[in-house]
Amino acid sequence: MIVQTAFAEKAQEKALSVRELTKDYPGVRAVDTVSFDIDRNTVHCLVGENGAGKSTIVKMLTGALTPTSGSMAILGRDYEPGSTQDARESGVGTLFQELHVVDQLTVLENLTLGMEASRFGFLVKSDLENRVVKTLAAIEPTIDPKARVSSLSVAQKQIVEIARAASSGASIIIMDEPTAALSEREVERLFGVIRRLRDSDVTVIYISHKLDEIFELGDNVTVMRDGKHIATKPLAEVNGRPELIEMMVGRAITHDYEPRGEIAGNPVLNVKGLSNHLLKDVSFHVNEGEIVGFYGLVGAGKTEVARAIYGADKADGQIDFKGRKRAASPKEAIAAGIALVPEERRTQGLFTELTIRRNIPIMNIRKLASFGIFQDEREKEVAREYVGMLGIATNSIEKYAEKLSGGNQQKVVLSKCLFADADMLLLDEPTRGVDVGAKSEIYDLIRDLANNGRAICIFSSELEEVLGICDRVFLMYDGQVQATIKNGAEVDIPHILNVVTGGGSENT
Amino acid sequence: MTDQAVEGRRLAARDNRLSDEMFITSLVAGAAVALFLLASILVPNFFQFQNVVNLVTNNWAVISLGIGVTFLLVSGNFDLSVGGVVALSGVLAVWFAQAADGANALSSGWGMPTWLAMFCALIGAMLIGTVNAVFVVALRVPSIIVTLGTMMLARGIAQVITQGSQRNTNLPSDFGMLGNMAMFGSSIKMPVVLMAILILTAVFVERKTVFGRLTYLIGANPVASRLSGVDNARHVIKLYLFSAVMAGVVGILLASEFKSGFSNRGTLMEFDALVISLLGGVAIAGGFGSVIGMFFGAIILATVTSAATGLVLSPDWQFTLKALAVFIAIMAQSWALARRHTG
Amino acid sequence: MIDLTQNPSSGDRVKRFLKDYYIYLVLILVVVVLSTANLDKFPLFERGNFLSERNIINILRISAPILTLAGAFTLLMISGYIDLSVGSAMSLSAVVYAMLAINGVPFLPAFALTVLLGVLLGAINGFLVIRLRITPVIATLITLSLYKGVALLLVEDGVSAIKSGGGLKMPSWFNDYGRDGVLLGLPWAFWVAILVTIAMIVTQDRMKLGKYAAATGGNPTAAKLSGINTARTVITLYILVGICAALAGIARSSFMSLGDPLSGDGMELTAILVVLLGGTAFSGGEGRVLKSFIGALIIMSLTVGMLTLVPAYFQTLVVGTALLLAAASNHLVSRKDSES
Repeated sequence: MIVQTAFAEKAQEKALSVRELTKDYPGVRAVDTVSFDIDRNTVHCLVGENGAGKSTIVKMLTGALTPTSGSMAILGRDYEPGSTQDARESGVGTLFQELHVVDQLTVLENLTLGMEASRFGFLVKSDLENRVVKTLAAIEPTIDPKARVSSLSVAQKQIVEIARAASSGASIIIMDEPTAALSEREVERLFGVIRRLRDSDVTVIYISHKLDEIFELGDNVTVMRDGKHIATKPLAEVNGRPELIEMMVGRAITHDYEPRGEIAGNPVLNVKGLSNHLLKDVSFHVNEGEIVGFYGLVGAGKTEVARAIYGADKADGQIDFKGRKRAASPKEAIAAGIALVPEERRTQGLFTELTIRRNIPIMNIRKLASFGIFQDEREKEVAREYVGMLGIATNSIEKYAEKLSGGNQQKVVLSKCLFADADMLLLDEPTRGVDVGAKSEIYDLIRDLANNGRAICIFSSELEEVLGICDRVFLMYDGQVQATIKNGAEVDIPHILNVVTGGGSENT
Repeated sequence: MTDQAVEGRRLAARDNRLSDEMFITSLVAGAAVALFLLASILVPNFFQFQNVVNLVTNNWAVISLGIGVTFLLVSGNFDLSVGGVVALSGVLAVWFAQAADGANALSSGWGMPTWLAMFCALIGAMLIGTVNAVFVVALRVPSIIVTLGTMMLARGIAQVITQGSQRNTNLPSDFGMLGNMAMFGSSIKMPVVLMAILILTAVFVERKTVFGRLTYLIGANPVASRLSGVDNARHVIKLYLFSAVMAGVVGILLASEFKSGFSNRGTLMEFDALVISLLGGVAIAGGFGSVIGMFFGAIILATVTSAATGLVLSPDWQFTLKALAVFIAIMAQSWALARRHTG
Repeated sequence: MIDLTQNPSSGDRVKRFLKDYYIYLVLILVVVVLSTANLDKFPLFERGNFLSERNIINILRISAPILTLAGAFTLLMISGYIDLSVGSAMSLSAVVYAMLAINGVPFLPAFALTVLLGVLLGAINGFLVIRLRITPVIATLITLSLYKGVALLLVEDGVSAIKSGGGLKMPSWFNDYGRDGVLLGLPWAFWVAILVTIAMIVTQDRMKLGKYAAATGGNPTAAKLSGINTARTVITLYILVGICAALAGIARSSFMSLGDPLSGDGMELTAILVVLLGGTAFSGGEGRVLKSFIGALIIMSLTVGMLTLVPAYFQTLVVGTALLLAAASNHLVSRKDSES
């Protein structure tokens, strides 16, 4: 009896406990018998590499997915959400990466959305409004409750969402990469909000790949790797970034860049004074056979540089590729010998409802046609050739792209670019959502292409990726190239991190 | 990783030999045949070769319009203006060809030779197609709204030119030639043969040419197609012009057949063209469908309506039957595709 | 990153003003042009006097159906959905209402049964769109055809509409509802349209349904995550549109004194036109019931008033052109708005 009571009391201290949670997808175990506890009124961080199972756990916590087995409990009571609505009613609020506010309504209308007091369908005044306005004022007094949400910044919209979760009585708020689109100042403000939440009896589950944020903000951390639970412990007991990273990757981090010697090639791309809604006076050049990287956090302007060069977005300034004028459209860019692997593979790069065979020739489709008539046999040959060359794991070129794994999908996108006979490849987040094996194959391929004289630009928010493969790296922050570094053994990582978070901009 | 490889192989084993399009098209063709046989049992004298021929020849106009409409739907765009364009081009052709010295306003035109009048009428049709293209591509107004507007615009112009009725006097003697020309010494008229040629050409373009491929790409994923170097805007402009030309040709041939330009001709043809495309398995969201499916969709609709007539149902039944046919077709297709992808 | 707290420039303020009030300016413009234009050519109304009492009453009487329909249609479009079957629903209601009346059913039960029919027609649309997940355009094209087909089948072969004759006679109240002035010389049908519009304005501003419609159209995921039953919201809106279509059918058949199975043809176009003219965004979320009401007044003034200037066969051309212009300007305005 006594033991049981003690156990119950102890369990009650836990805001959330997860026991032997498992999620199976056909053929894949995304989360493998994971157990951990989250203490009340803490900021609990969840870290792991892409594909470690973080987002699957979050989806089970928010009711978007049902676990295959295992259990969850909130304050010692069983918690089995069947929907996001269930989760909300059990006091679990979520701040998703994409914003879930209604632009056309006011802040106040958003805060009370779905919770309005009403009589016969008519809205009636209640103390709910006062309460949510107070909650909002407590965490961010500068937002006017009467303002239309469309007039707010992204950061402010996020805070509106947090206020909504808090005022709907959430005792746990899950935040999935909340700082992805925020400036440094906005991040600081958000952290203030999170700390105030924690002090007002709310537990925050914080998912981020930005380790500095985790050390700054978190109380405890749970590390996931390959769907398995690695550790849960107070951050105070974690011995700095190296230990955390080692737990995440299972090995000490090394960037295995091998200097490829002096790149003798001539400059092929010269960019001067590139500016648009986000970019400010970006200038750089890329040589033949060179791999350059653009490193910066999300929102620093990397994608915008790639799209401007590719003619997909409008921008002012000079872009000179092999002496040609800038491309006004992707079509012109491809004709000039530039190809882009876009940031969003499934929506921008790939035709998921087409087969591998149909995907590969798309960027240079006329090459497979004579007098406008398509040569099916040649298409099959080409598809087989590229499947073999890039090692796309499939038993048939007639497989729908949708059914391939992330890495193989990315190889199909790369095949598209290669088939376009590009002299320069723009690779935007080339290994996002790609498993480790395919990742190293893609890196090998990139090196081969560069050795054959192609110019490669990699736009990435993963430092390891950039330092692992690029010869030169442009550090971006706030729409500008802040510094250029030459890669090598003596690269100063703290300096890089300082620059991309707005800390300094002298060249090295 | 090994898990994924196993999974990959398992999925691959399930990969279908037949593409989804072929699957749906054969389904539609099967349904057309089944319906015809069913009608043959129910309706006396339905099972005749001549009846099969009639199903096609009586519907050459809508099937021809369906070609352009299908291509546009596959690219993710509506064209509801075709009925209006049929009226406009017919009225224009007649008006241009009418002698200039008629007794009253409705009997005097521009006195052009027949070929020139028809050519200019075709240009008029293309102007409507241009308006569609400009509004959809340049201004990015939803195509359903735009083409509803141009449907009224085209018909409105036709009504103004005919003062709300029709023009059928004072025409050159060769004006009726094209629309009434009998082919191969049989009763089959030129427009039907033209339709057959157009269908075959369209199937070829759709299956075997870069143009056809691009149409599918744009409908399947417009963002990815633009980033892959496809000039979406230009292609959609071409499709709207093509559809307007088809509608123009149909309108001119009908005007020639009846030797009149009637401002209410082609009313509801845009809906029929849409209906047969949907019956034929063309996806409203784009990226999926085929001209041959549309053709069988037309046969289904024709069988149902002519069987209804054979059963001495009042012609008022046609709207109800169309509604039911489209409903069943859409439910059957989504059910079949869903089963195929899970089963 | 970008400072959004700048004060709006005076240019922005002018734009804002135009966006908020242009519809009233257009109405004034149309009225001024029509009332100063030379109307001698076409003696349908009192000569040269668009603003005469008789003409205004006439326009408002004819406008009753679209005025009834505009509000609910606006709310549906705000929620991001569309109903192309309103014209057919209106025809079917007109036929049913006329049949009830001519067969001796008194006014109130006939009225109530027809409204009930509207509920059913709207519910069918909602069912197809929400439960069977058919794209709204296609689902309501199906019912467009279906409702019209049923209306045609209800009318005997060889007769074009339900009307007096063959031993049956329309009761006198039938016509009075749509024509007989009860207040300010305007008939019941018009005042019902006003009541419906007020009800829709209240729905938009004071009821959960109005707010949920905006949320459903503005950000469906957010609406769902907030616990809003978007399915129920949309079905309710379809039913509201169905009811208003039935009321519009009653108004039309009363005015014409017959139950015509084609009387609602093209109503969906007029409805889309007035709602777009009123600034409702195609993409959902945005729009005002009152502005659609003004939009309906503009279109009716134009189409009816135009008859005083040009022959009737110009009507399709003018409406089509107006639709294109409204769509283009509406879209340009909303696009600029989202870019800034």
